[in-house]
Amino acid sequence: MKAAGGLTVLVAASLSLAAAPPPAGAPSAPVTRVAGVPSVGANDFARLLGGVMFWRADTRKLVIRAVGHRLTFTVDAPIVVLDEHTLRLDAPVRSVGGELQIPISILPQLPRDTTGAHLVLEADGARIRLVPAGGLVGPPVVTVPAGGVTRLALATAHAEDARVTGRGRGHFRLWVPGAAAGPPPGALPAGSLVRRIRGFESSEGVTYELELDPSVQSYRLSTPAHRDQLVLEFSRGAGSGEPFAPEGPAGPRALRVVVLDPGHGGDDPGVVEQGVSEKDLTLQLARLLASELERRAGARVVLTRTDDRSMAQEDRAELANRSRADIVLSLHFDAVPGTRAHGATAWCAPASFAGGDEATTGLPLLPWRDVALRHAVESRELADDVSSALDAMGQGPSRVHERLPVALLGVSAPGLALECATLTSPADLERVRSPEGLHDLAVAIANGLVEWARH
Amino acid sequence: MRFLFRLVALAAVVALGFWGYRAVRARLSPRPAPPAVDTTLTGMRAATLYFADAGGDSLVGEVRELPEAESLHEHVAQLVDALARGPQHRGVALLPAGTAVLHAYLDDQGRLTLDLSRAFQQGFRGGTQAEDLVVGSLVRTVGANLPEVKHVLIVCGGTPIGSLGGHLPLDRPLDPHESD
Repeated sequence: MKAAGGLTVLVAASLSLAAAPPPAGAPSAPVTRVAGVPSVGANDFARLLGGVMFWRADTRKLVIRAVGHRLTFTVDAPIVVLDEHTLRLDAPVRSVGGELQIPISILPQLPRDTTGAHLVLEADGARIRLVPAGGLVGPPVVTVPAGGVTRLALATAHAEDARVTGRGRGHFRLWVPGAAAGPPPGALPAGSLVRRIRGFESSEGVTYELELDPSVQSYRLSTPAHRDQLVLEFSRGAGSGEPFAPEGPAGPRALRVVVLDPGHGGDDPGVVEQGVSEKDLTLQLARLLASELERRAGARVVLTRTDDRSMAQEDRAELANRSRADIVLSLHFDAVPGTRAHGATAWCAPASFAGGDEATTGLPLLPWRDVALRHAVESRELADDVSSALDAMGQGPSRVHERLPVALLGVSAPGLALECATLTSPADLERVRSPEGLHDLAVAIANGLVEWARH
Repeated sequence: MRFLFRLVALAAVVALGFWGYRAVRARLSPRPAPPAVDTTLTGMRAATLYFADAGGDSLVGEVRELPEAESLHEHVAQLVDALARGPQHRGVALLPAGTAVLHAYLDDQGRLTLDLSRAFQQGFRGGTQAEDLVVGSLVRTVGANLPEVKHVLIVCGGTPIGSLGGHLPLDRPLDPHESD
């Protein structure tokens, strides 16, 4: 691995991109001046790189191991050893209050890791931040040209990799690789078909969630003229654009009975990470969520298991169906070893199925195994509402996948299998293993369910 | 007597000269080269392999040269073996250690039954997302390199499995083009 030239400081990359503060959750660290030299604390530096620190008191050296590299800092020396190379800084590394302060002149000399992620100094010089391989994504600019079209444009160097991840009018989601350079606009032009925009830090990118006017009929994603620009157009006419996901009728929904299904149990611990078992977490979360829903929604909550026991999927489904559930929520915690995956994922029946065989043939030709497909539209809306609520409370990034999970086989009600966090992510694990973190997670999920009921 | 001695000496010189001539000739003449490896019979073909991206969010393709396979089984086994060895560039290998192809059978409807070793199921660790990525990497890799395959049914040790880790159903054939 070459030792130099990979990392780029994007101070002047684009003033319009970098003028605003980073979105909440973007990994960053403050820059402080030590004897006039802009520096970053070693603890923050190691955290951003996902590294592990070792301190050698006898030689006053700090070793940080990160992304396959070894960085050795020596107190009061302007020299850093990176693997087998020597980097020269513009000032010595200093020890202040027991923590080493590293001059930020190291940034341009660091190698990019295997993912292409890199550290950059923000325009005002107040913070450094970790930018994924996608680089910076400019804030969305909404315009209303003639023809009943609303156009949303944003600057990105990877427009071709952007994708629509949610196609409901209430929660239309656009994922773009990179990090948001600034927040989305609060005020939108008159006549805009986009009513509201929210931005969430997402896996290796940023997700913009749009609330659209109900009259919108189609959308089109394109990269016209410039490959470093992404354009999303919404139109009231169907035209040749893409359709939206089918939607249920407007108005409030009943939330009388909620079935919570704590995943795994008994001799099936699920994911086990650093002594934390998924089966225990799901049960604890189900209890917290149950009291939250009973208090706020007045719903009767049924748990498929209330202790540590094994249960077959057929038994869980039967209990949910016998309870005449308005919603079935199967609770899980994810793990994707060897990756930087984090956040939550909702799995629901594919809404594209809606109106399939039944609409064309008039016969509900559906095996009982797939009965959850009959509730695909409501399930998709439930997934969007819960996903938004998680993101809004900092429990994301969240994703929605339209694929029928095992937990919903034979379940005749709107439902989700919700992977509430990713236990292989140290940050997620730390959050959910604390009572406060698990309580906040329960509140966020309850927010999503209540929002779904309001519709 | 003297004549006899001269005759013997002459014969000795001639014999010595003949031996020397043969030794020098043997040294100068080229030795036969060892038989060359016949590379013309073993071609290489480009294969696209799908691994999880570092963010654990989706699959990324990697093109690699693999030896030409003589049978469907060999071809599928090569692909699965390459997946198990992991990416050479970006990406993350998620296939459980010890995963290997026991049998691969393609019917006339384009349905490939992929019979994997039990290590595939027993060695799996992860949640729904990992399960989706593991199955997706297998199915999409097979679909990308064997265009005649329309659907893939995964079984383990000759036995159908309902799911890899209990999260996503595997009791039905999967469409390679619908995998993440």
